[in-house]
Amino acid sequence: MIHMQGITKIYEDNGALALDNISVDIEAGEFVFIVGASGSGKSTFIRLLFREVLPTDGTLIVNGVDVPGLKKNEVPAFRRTLGVIFQDYRLLPDKTVYENVAFAMQVIEAPRRLIQRSVNNVLDVVGLQEKYKAFPSQLSGGEQQRVAIARAIVNRPSLVIADEPTGNLDPETSWDIMDIFHRINSSGTTIVMATHDKHIVDTMRRRVIAIEDGKIVRDEARGVYGYEV
Amino acid sequence: MKFSTFEYFFQEVALSLRRKNLMSIASIGTVAVSLFVLGVFLILVLNFNRLAGTLESQVQISVYFKDDATAAKEREAAALIRDMQGIDSVHFVSREEAMNRLKERLGDQKYLLESLDNENPLPDSLEVVVKRPDMVETAAKAISKIEVVEEAKYGQDVIEHLFDITRLVRIFGLVLMILLAGATIFIIANTIRLTVFARRKEIAIMKYVGATDWFIRWPFILEGMVLGFIGGILAAVALRSFYAAMAAKIYGTLTFFPLMPQYPFMNYVAIAIILSGMAIGTLGSAISLKRFLQV
Repeated sequence: MIHMQGITKIYEDNGALALDNISVDIEAGEFVFIVGASGSGKSTFIRLLFREVLPTDGTLIVNGVDVPGLKKNEVPAFRRTLGVIFQDYRLLPDKTVYENVAFAMQVIEAPRRLIQRSVNNVLDVVGLQEKYKAFPSQLSGGEQQRVAIARAIVNRPSLVIADEPTGNLDPETSWDIMDIFHRINSSGTTIVMATHDKHIVDTMRRRVIAIEDGKIVRDEARGVYGYEV
Repeated sequence: MKFSTFEYFFQEVALSLRRKNLMSIASIGTVAVSLFVLGVFLILVLNFNRLAGTLESQVQISVYFKDDATAAKEREAAALIRDMQGIDSVHFVSREEAMNRLKERLGDQKYLLESLDNENPLPDSLEVVVKRPDMVETAAKAISKIEVVEEAKYGQDVIEHLFDITRLVRIFGLVLMILLAGATIFIIANTIRLTVFARRKEIAIMKYVGATDWFIRWPFILEGMVLGFIGGILAAVALRSFYAAMAAKIYGTLTFFPLMPQYPFMNYVAIAIILSGMAIGTLGSAISLKRFLQV
């Protein structure tokens, strides 16, 4: 699913070395936590995966696609195979729950009937079918994140990338969200999640990749967070 | 492109125009004013062209004989001219007749002729009408070569004068049009920039979910086009009233002036103005997107 070989990222504007020659493979169907302190490079790791940033050096294959080698006009097709979720949800405030999710299908010009069916489906998965008419401002943080997850999975991506999805949520709500991720993963979708939620990582016991100063310092199959919070 | 996509684009444009209605009104107003001025110059240039053309097609050649030409020689010359190619008619005007015409034209100022002591300084002449305007010059040249002919004149001075004016109007109009078009494009680009700014979150999300660059750009391009279109319609309506008023004024005073008839002329002007508005709007959007939309 993901193949990284000798990936180095130096930001051009300030010359900061964010990732230093890292190599890692993630198989299809895995659930992987990326952990590390702020500024460790875990955010860069995540952003490389959906081509928000390009590596300075190294090989990066995602979903069988040579990501740094993509031409500009090939990027949209590549991103359609991914679902991306952020800490701050990034919903459109003037669109309803339904419209926010349908939006992801409209922009790839899916047929209207398919949009209706798929959106109802994923709202069911995240448990928001009752609130499809609500606007983001009328929802709690957890509900907003569930809308964002619905939007990320509505196009049936094989890889879901989440950057601190529970960072703004209280522990109980975080578990609801993790439950949804768990179910998505059970259906075969690969999940790569950056987090610094020790409790979640230690409880889920999934593969943990720890990044420190731009290097992978630990990669355990059923790992724990391993830092004091 | 799918119909539902198109529908989506237009919804976005309508929403955006409503959200920034003041800015939208300002842009539409600027487009309308610029296009109106552009239209006025277009109307002026086209009418001057027509006037010049009409005068050109009406020209006749005045052939003046030398003072020492005998009546027989003059008749001979008239016959010669009548046989030339492209000549429609030849009319003889004696010096007496010419004097009478002059007195008539002077009217109250006839006294000016008193200093002549009843001498008639005018020569005999011919009024030659050619079949086609483009033959005037050749015919005039050929006629002036005839021995007893002093001079063959046609209205070339007037026409050249008119062409000078037309050229001036055209150059002035063109410069003004370029300036106004530039200003309009700038205003529209600015309006679109505000939309881009207001929608930057949406644009980012569109990118994450895999929208193509053109899918992202279309609503903005359309918004510019719609601004230009509405401005163009306003300008076209204003131009129609302007031309009707101008025509009424001119027909009331300068009856001979061959004004372009209002229809279908103004329809063409309206179409040209509206299309220009849309082109300007589209260009404004494109410039703004190039600068502010990193997709």
